[in-house]
Order: sequence, then structure tokens, then C-alpha cells
Amino acid sequence: MTLVNETTHIQVPKQPKKPGGRSVASRGLEALLTNRVVLLAVLIVIVLVVMTILDTTGQLSGPYNADYLASSLISAVPLAMLGMAQLLVILSGKGGIDLSVGSIVSLTGILFGLAYGPGGWDFIPALLLAVVAGGVFGAVNGVLVAYIGFPPLIATLATYYAYRSLALVISNQKPVSSTSIQDFYSAAQSVEIPLIGATIPLVPLGIFTFLIPTVIVVWIVLNKTTFGRRLYAIGTNDVAAQWSGINVRPNRMAVYAISGVIAGLVSVVTVAQFASARPDAGTSGNGMALPAITIAVLGGVAITGGIGRVSGIVLATLLIVWLNAGILLALPGNDGSQFQLLALGLVLVFASLLNGLTKRKYGGI
Amino acid sequence: MTIDERTRPAPASPPRGSGSATAKRILPLPVTGQEFVLIGVIVVLWVLLGIFTPAFLTANSIQPLLVSVAPIALIGVGMTFIIITAGIDVSVGGAIMLCAVVVAKTMVSVDIPLIGAVALAVALGLVLGLVNGVLIAYGRVAAIIITFGTANLFQFFALRVFGSSTVNGIPSTLEVFGRGEAGRTLGVPNSFAIMIVIAAVAWWYLRHAAGGRHLFAIGGNTNAARLVGIKVQPRVMLAYGLTGALVGLGACFILASGTATLDQSVGAGKELQVIAAVVIGGTSILGGRGSVIGTVLGAILVQTVTSGVTQLGWPSQLANLFVGIFIIIAVGTDLLRERARRKA
Amino acid sequence: MSAETPTATATATYRLELHDIVKSYGGVRAIRHADFAIKPGTVHALVGENGAGKSTLIKIIAGAEIPDAGTIAFDGAVTTIGSTSDSIALGVQTVYQEPQLFPELSVAENVFVGRELKKGGRVDWKAEADQIHGLLDTVGLPDRIATMPVGTLSIAEQQQVSIAKALAGDASVLILDEPSAILTDSEIEVLFTVIRRLTATGVSVIYISHRLDELFVIADEVTVMRDGETITTRPIGELSVREIAELMVGGVLAESRPKGAGTSGETVLELTNLTRAGKFENISFAVRAGEIVGLYGLVGSGAGDIAGVVYGMDKATSGTMRLSGEDVVVKRPSQAKKIGIRLLPANRSAQGSFSFQSISLNIVVGELGKLSRIPGWVSGRAQQSIARDFIKRLAVKTPSEKQPISAMSGGNAQKVVLARQLVETPKLLVLAEPTQGVDVGAKEEIHRIISNLADDGSAVLVVTSDLGEVLRISDRILVVRAGEIAAEFTPQATQVEILAAAAGDQTSETLS
Repeated sequence: MTLVNETTHIQVPKQPKKPGGRSVASRGLEALLTNRVVLLAVLIVIVLVVMTILDTTGQLSGPYNADYLASSLISAVPLAMLGMAQLLVILSGKGGIDLSVGSIVSLTGILFGLAYGPGGWDFIPALLLAVVAGGVFGAVNGVLVAYIGFPPLIATLATYYAYRSLALVISNQKPVSSTSIQDFYSAAQSVEIPLIGATIPLVPLGIFTFLIPTVIVVWIVLNKTTFGRRLYAIGTNDVAAQWSGINVRPNRMAVYAISGVIAGLVSVVTVAQFASARPDAGTSGNGMALPAITIAVLGGVAITGGIGRVSGIVLATLLIVWLNAGILLALPGNDGSQFQLLALGLVLVFASLLNGLTKRKYGGI
Repeated sequence: MTIDERTRPAPASPPRGSGSATAKRILPLPVTGQEFVLIGVIVVLWVLLGIFTPAFLTANSIQPLLVSVAPIALIGVGMTFIIITAGIDVSVGGAIMLCAVVVAKTMVSVDIPLIGAVALAVALGLVLGLVNGVLIAYGRVAAIIITFGTANLFQFFALRVFGSSTVNGIPSTLEVFGRGEAGRTLGVPNSFAIMIVIAAVAWWYLRHAAGGRHLFAIGGNTNAARLVGIKVQPRVMLAYGLTGALVGLGACFILASGTATLDQSVGAGKELQVIAAVVIGGTSILGGRGSVIGTVLGAILVQTVTSGVTQLGWPSQLANLFVGIFIIIAVGTDLLRERARRKA
Repeated sequence: MSAETPTATATATYRLELHDIVKSYGGVRAIRHADFAIKPGTVHALVGENGAGKSTLIKIIAGAEIPDAGTIAFDGAVTTIGSTSDSIALGVQTVYQEPQLFPELSVAENVFVGRELKKGGRVDWKAEADQIHGLLDTVGLPDRIATMPVGTLSIAEQQQVSIAKALAGDASVLILDEPSAILTDSEIEVLFTVIRRLTATGVSVIYISHRLDELFVIADEVTVMRDGETITTRPIGELSVREIAELMVGGVLAESRPKGAGTSGETVLELTNLTRAGKFENISFAVRAGEIVGLYGLVGSGAGDIAGVVYGMDKATSGTMRLSGEDVVVKRPSQAKKIGIRLLPANRSAQGSFSFQSISLNIVVGELGKLSRIPGWVSGRAQQSIARDFIKRLAVKTPSEKQPISAMSGGNAQKVVLARQLVETPKLLVLAEPTQGVDVGAKEEIHRIISNLADDGSAVLVVTSDLGEVLRISDRILVVRAGEIAAEFTPQATQVEILAAAAGDQTSETLS
């Protein structure tokens, strides 16, 4: 047996593609397909350009301008926040998903409404109640998944039913409202940003009070904390995480609790938006869970865990919100809301097919 | 070389006749322990409901219950096939909506016979199911994601067909599946009887046909299934196609049990009800294990609770709380039993 | 593949013959030259150290790999095995260590799945039941087991089911890949009975094993492989355990580690009568600071389980563990790490690497607390500098610490996973199979890293089934066999002595 000198044994890592000698176009295509943020940014630009052209040629029922785009952001608040909740949960791997977020929004919304309205609580305690209650409801999912071993889909399907039912039963199937809640409606109104406000469009207040803080906190959690690092590790390979000395269960449970906390925050936003606490706020129609999962997948979160970024969620939300806003102007009335479904469905199917394709072609997302 | 040549010289083998007698049952019992428990729970509930609300155990109460069980259990049969292969389909709500509105509109505008309406619904459902099946089997994407997407697409097409309003004045072509007198034979709702027949055939197929057994193999260990020469992709496609076809028939049942007006809420949330029935029935969401009998029982249990809660005068929405609890109990006991088995 | 040599058309006394087989992967010769022939109705053992080329040869027979050169003949006729189905058509069936079964299906179904016996559109359960009886009987399983789900059976029983499945496919050549590694002695007895029954009906069995003692009980002939070559084929009666061991390791003298500076350091790890029921019993030994103790055992010996208990992955059923003189009960890895224990897991892809995450995350993931002074916080800059430091120190070849670990070669990936254990200098470092699947150059480097770590005062326990490795880097060698410490050696021991002890030289008669 001969001993090979280390210098003669340099192993070149396998390159999935030939380095150099490639056109800018092919490299650009690869960036587009493998980097979800690039793809989403390009799609947003396309949407804005197409809509602006339609606007200038007079084919829209209203102006598609900065003010309109800014005011349409109101629907981005729950979507992006719950998208972030799904990001965390899906990231944790083992089929992570949270179908119950919509039900938690309904239930904590009712609790908040009862406390803030008829209960006469101050805003801050009522907000804390919603957040804590959401955390507890989420933690129930977390215990079922992390400690008892439920498949996340099943655990959150069960609590979807349970919480949704409780919201309707507690509220006696009637929206909760009061003068204080109606006053709270103003919180959802658009505001002028101090200092620079006069030069840019009015932006819904919920963006500043709820969405941006949540985006920042989730981004910090994922990128700047040990918990975030552990989460990526657990989602990628929970066995290896265990061998690395990470306690997998409490971490996995925590993401479900955080998902509940975010849903609790969303419930307060929703109460403000509707000027009442509706028992079906998060569950009527398709509910809030499905669009949130769609946003997460579109944002490049791998359903198998371990891959996903906050920037993807934010861009995916902007794409969908501004696309939807444009569709509403292009196709007024029912047509608009119907074509929104088509857009969402097509985008989701193509995004997931693209995920599969890029995985095969470039070996990653 | 044949097997006989090898086995005959083995000294320990007893006479062949007795061997085949002791080993004639290769399959597990036709009804599993969990299914007996479900039957027990349903019986107890029926007895309790019978005691507390005497009206419960009457034909007037049981017949509508069975009518409402029929579509959920029927689609649940297909969903059982899918989940056995370790897949899932959350688009059935949208597919029901599309099938229902297409059939309703057709019946309103042309004088289509019963058989034509059913054929139209089943064919349309089959196509929708195959769309899912092709994408999942050949596109190699997660079933839950792709069916979330197609759910939106099906809803879109359904809403386009609806236009901006409800469908009114639906003729009674489908009344043989309905709640009325015409929908019953010897007191048994026809839709329920049809569901039972289809479930029985499906049960037989899953239990005795090679193709059915292969679905279990695929869900249990896809790679090993490929190694033994099972054609995985066509089999998976078949499961989604079957579910689609059953969605078509189920949509007819739903149409028939409603009024002459169809609104846009048809099908909403049905996918989760179906999955709940399948899961309560003991089919493992991880694939490889499941039974049609359990699914039918799960659907009956869910509807019993729904109907019972109303008849007891409780808030009707409380029923969903029990559905959630049943799912947790059904899956939880299974998980704990599995854990105990592994420790032993 | 071309038939270069006409010799393959020799007499049909052999069921299967391979001549002049050559196989390379990339530039690496996995098989330099192999001849192998098995007669009908015999058991032919194939032995060799890890990397000797056994598994490549088996893959060629099973059709999973195609040789670069050489001929294959079946019953005297030259043939081509271009795929696994070609191989199956010839009657070659392989039983792998990991059973390829369906846990929820019954034993009988598992045996017939994919080639069900049918009658009028349905599976003919009666016909299958008639046959399963004979098949189960042949492999030594009771009749009643036919209806049980495979998932409820023991590993040994699952293996027997796999054999039954192979037989249902009309096997004329049965390859058993280390079947005894996962079995207890009594289960091995059953396996041998099954094998004898099969050979009596003319089936040829290729038997791969590391446990040389058992070859004398079951094998008729033995072929020894070393460094990609078949060294010799002899009737088993002509050899002893010691002679086979000599043939396996060749004449190579392993260099041993220069006497470590700190071998007289304080005792760091001390195990007393440590037992984990069913895995190992009454294990007692100590590792001192600056010392490298090699725990040598073949697959299934229990050596790996000892490492798992020390690190808190599994619980001991009795016995005590002391660390630096204090009794400790390690309940989980996070606790083991708190008291200064680090472990490099044996299975890199399943237990070690976070595949599509960056090299830097893979390095720091075990010590995230070090990445900032603020608890719970991480600094990307600290992560980068730690990663770069280790990439340099361990000579990891990569363009950037941001590359995913999945893009690296085995040796480099292993260095990254090893770096994770060194971010916080361990008091005790346990390494399980530290160089498995690693090229020779990287192996050298990893050995040097381990050696330096011990010189700097860490206690090191290397758990390995690589004979050359244990001799090269250990200050002291403990041989684990059947869950017990069978012998202790100094690095001056020969490979043959150690292999003989691990393979059960003294006890070969107790098995028969």
C-alpha cells in the first residue's frame, strides 16, 4: 500500500456545470431558475410593466399607480405574515405545515374582540391576550408534532377543525363588535409617513405596525439567532441535528408556537380591517392557510424542509398582491376575483414544477 | 428449478395438505382492530343519542344522515387509494364544485337524462383527477402543493361556469340520489347503497387484486416497489384518476341532496372532511396502510356527530370540535401503539 | 464488455464463473483483476478488508455495475449481465444487509409482491399460501408468521423473509451480503441451517462475511480479496483463521503513531461494567488525556453502540461512566457536549452532514453559542472566520465556505464534519469510523489531525472496523467481539493478531 502525498491528491468538488465559456444568457437563465428571489423580482417587474402599459392605453378601470399599489398593500399584511408563519413551520422539516393558522386567526380574533370590546380591556393587554392565546394554540400543534409524532398535516387538520369550531361556538356565530373596536378601525387606515410622507404615497398603517416589525423579527430570528441556525439544521437533517447535540423536539415545537403567535397578531389586524371580530375571519372561503402556504411555496420554501428565506416570502407576497390588484382593475367585478384564483393556481403549479425541474437540472433550488 | 424441488427434501416439512390449511390466510383479518373500535364508538353514540333524543333512531333522522355520509365516504374511497400510496389530494373541494356546477348548468339548459348527467360528471371528474395524477406521478412534485394549486384552478373554472350568480331551477333528474322518497329503495337511500357497493368493490380490489396490493407496496417503500418491478407511475396516476371519477359521482349525490338552487359554496371544505374521514378510519397519512371499511366508518362517525350535535340542541358548530378530537384520538392511539410496539 | 478470453467456455462444473474482471470508477481501480467461480450446491465465502473490492464484485454479479473488461459464464455458457434484470433472469438473487421489504404487508405478501400468483384477475392466495408454507419452512420460519406484517418482525426474521423472497424468485445463485453482522449466535445457527438446506437442493451461495470463524462452519471454499484483486481461492479446510487473516492484510506492516506525549495524563473517561442489554455487556476501560484508544470491532460487534451510549444517544442499562473522576449519567448528546464530549458519527450522510447547507453552517452548527457573546445571537462574521480557520487548518479543499457540503468529495466532507467536533476543543473526542468512504490522502490527513488533537491533551476514542487505521493511530487497542472486550493490544501487535481476535479465532469451535 502506497501512501499518497496529500498535495497530489487534490479533489475537485463536482461541478454541476462547466465553469466559464457560457453565454451571459445561459448564466442569466440559471440565476433566474435557481435563485427564487431573482425570478420573483423579474416577475414583479413584468407585472408592473404590463399593468402600466394597460393603464396608459386605457384598458384598466382605474389608475394603476403608486397610490393604488400602496393602498393595495393592506391585503399583504395577513398574507405575508402568515406566509412567514408557514416559512418557519415548513422550514422545520418532516412534512412541516400548518393548516390551523386560519382557525387560530378566527379564534384569537374572537378572544381579542371579546376582551377589547365587551370586556373593556385596554389595547395592549388585549393584544397580549391574542398573542399568548395564539402561542398556546400553536404550541398544542407543536406538542402533537414534536413530542407525540403526529404528521404535521394531520395534527394541524385536527386543530383546524377544533379551533374553528371553538371560535364559532364562543362567539355564538356572531361577529363581536363595539364602539372601541369600530374606533380601532382607524388603525387600518392609510397614514402619511413622517418627514418624507408628503413625497410618497399613503401606506396602510398595518404595514408599519404589524407587517414590517414581523418581517424584521422573523428575518432576525432566522439569520441572526442560534435558534434560526438550528432550525435550518433540523429541517435539513434532524438525525444529524441530534448527533450535533441539538435538542430537536423543543425547537420543532417552538416553530409551531411561533406560527400561532403570528396568527394571533394577524387576528388583531383582521379585527381592525373589518371593524369587528368575525368568527370565520380566517376560515371563510378558502381560509387563510391555503394562500399562506401558496405564498411560502412561491417564495421558494422547499416543502421538504431546510430551504427558505424571508425575502422570498416578501417578494412572493408583493407579486401576488400587485398582480391581484391589477387583475381587479383589468377585469372589474366578479371576473377580477375569479381570475385571481386562476393566477394563484397557475403560479403555484408552475412554481412547484419549477422547483422540481431546477432540483434536477441544477441540483438545488 | 421449481420451489417444490427445493422444499421437498426438507426433513421438517409436514404433509402438504395440513400446511396449506394452516397457512391459507395470508392477509390480515378483513376488519382491523381499529375498525371494530370505530364500529363500537358509532354504536355507543347511536345508543346514547337514541336515549337522549328519541327522534334520533328514526328513519326520518337516519335516512338524511346516510344521504350526507354517501358523498364523503364515496370520495373517501378514492382518497384512501391516494393516501395508501403516500399521496394526498386537497383539490377535491374544487373538483366537486366544478363537476356540480357543470352538471347543474347542463341539466338546466338541456334535457339530459340521468345517465347522461352522471356520465358527464364522472368523465369530467376523471379528467380533473388525471390532471393531478399526471402532475404528481410524472412531474415529481409534492402532491399537497400541486393539489393546492389545482384546487385554485378548479375553483376558477367552476366560478366561470357559475358566472356571477347561483344556478337556479335545477331539474329533478338526479332525484334517485336525493333525500326524497324517490331517493330510497326499501327505505335505504340509493346514494348510500351505491356508495356501499363501490366501497365493496374497492375493498375487494385493494385486498385481492395484485394492482391493489401494489398500491400498498408503493406507499410502504417506493424504491423497493420499483425494484420488484411494480410500475409505480401508472399506479399512482390511477389512484388520482379514480378519486376524480368518484368526485364526479359524489358531486351528483351532493347536487341531488340539495335544493333546486346551487350556490358557489358547494364543495367548500369537503377536501378536509374527506381527509378527516380517511384518517379517522385508520389509514396512515404516511402511506402503506389503510382500508376502505375504515374510511366509510370514519365518514359515518363524522356525520353522526354532526347530526347528533344538532339534534341535542347544541351549537351545530361544536361538531367540528369533536371531529378534531376524533382525529387526534384516532391517530394518537395509533402512534402510541406503534411506539409501544417498537419499544417491546 | 467483450469476450477476450475463450477460457470461459470451460466445463460446466461451475454454476457461475467470472474471469479477468476489471472495474474502475473514474480514475480509481476498484477491481484490478478478479477471478471467481462457484460450483452448484456449495457455499463460497468472499472475504477481504473494507475497500478490497468485494462489494464491487458483488454488484457486477448482481448486474448493478458493468465491468470494464472480463468474461462472465453461467453454467458454462458465456453471458452478459448488463442490468439487474439480466442477473435476476439468470437466477441470481441478492439479500442485502438492509432488507428491501414492505413493513405494513404480511410476510407472505412480501415474498410474492411484484410476481403474484394470479387466478382470474385476483391474487391466488391459496396458491401463495401453499407455496409460502414450503418457503418459510426452508428458511426456518414458523408457518404462523406468514400473516404477520413484516414491520413487526425482528431484523433476523426480516432477513429470513428476504431469503424466502429470493427463493420465490427461483434463485440458483444466492448472494448473502454480511448476513451474520446483525444476528445473534443462535440466529446465525438458524441461518446456517437454512443455507445447508438450500445447498442440498443445488443452490450456490456466495457468502460475504467479516467473521472468519463462522466460515469454517458454513463455507466450502473461500476467495480472499485484497486491494482490488482476488488473491486466492482455496477449500476452507486448507486454511486457518490466522492464515485467512494473513492473506487479507498481506505483508503490509502498519506504521504506528509515535508514542504520544501525554499518555500518562489524567484519566478522562472511565467505564465500569457498562452494559446496554442486547448490545454489549460489562465493558470496562479508561481513556486518559493525550491518549488515543482504538476500539476495534467488526460490524455488529457492539463497538459502535458503546460510542452511542458514551455520547448519550442511547441509555446504558447498567454500569457506570466517569468523566474526569466524576460519575456522569449522559441522557442526551446536548448534555454530553456540555461536559466536554464530542462525537464524530459513523454515517456521514445520515448522521453527519446537512447536505444542502453551507460548509460554514456545517462547521459551526454544534457550537452556535460561540458565535457571539450575546446569548442566543449569532454573528455571521464569527461563523465565517471560524469556518475559514478550520478550512485552512484541516486543509479542506473548497473555493468558499459558502459552498454546500453536498458539492464536496467524501474526504473533504468528512473533514468538515470533523471540524464541527473541534470548534470547541473536546475533553473527550469519540470518532466513529472516522475515515469510512474517504480517499487515501484525506485519510492520512484526518489521522494526523486526530493525532495532533491527542498531543494537545484531548482524550480520544476511535471506534473503527478498519484494521490499518486502528493500528496506525492508537496508543492502545481494545478488540470488541459479541458485545464484550475480547482482547487488548499495544500498537506493536500485528494486524493478524487483532483480526484473529476480533473474528473469533479462539472460539471457532463453540459455534459449530
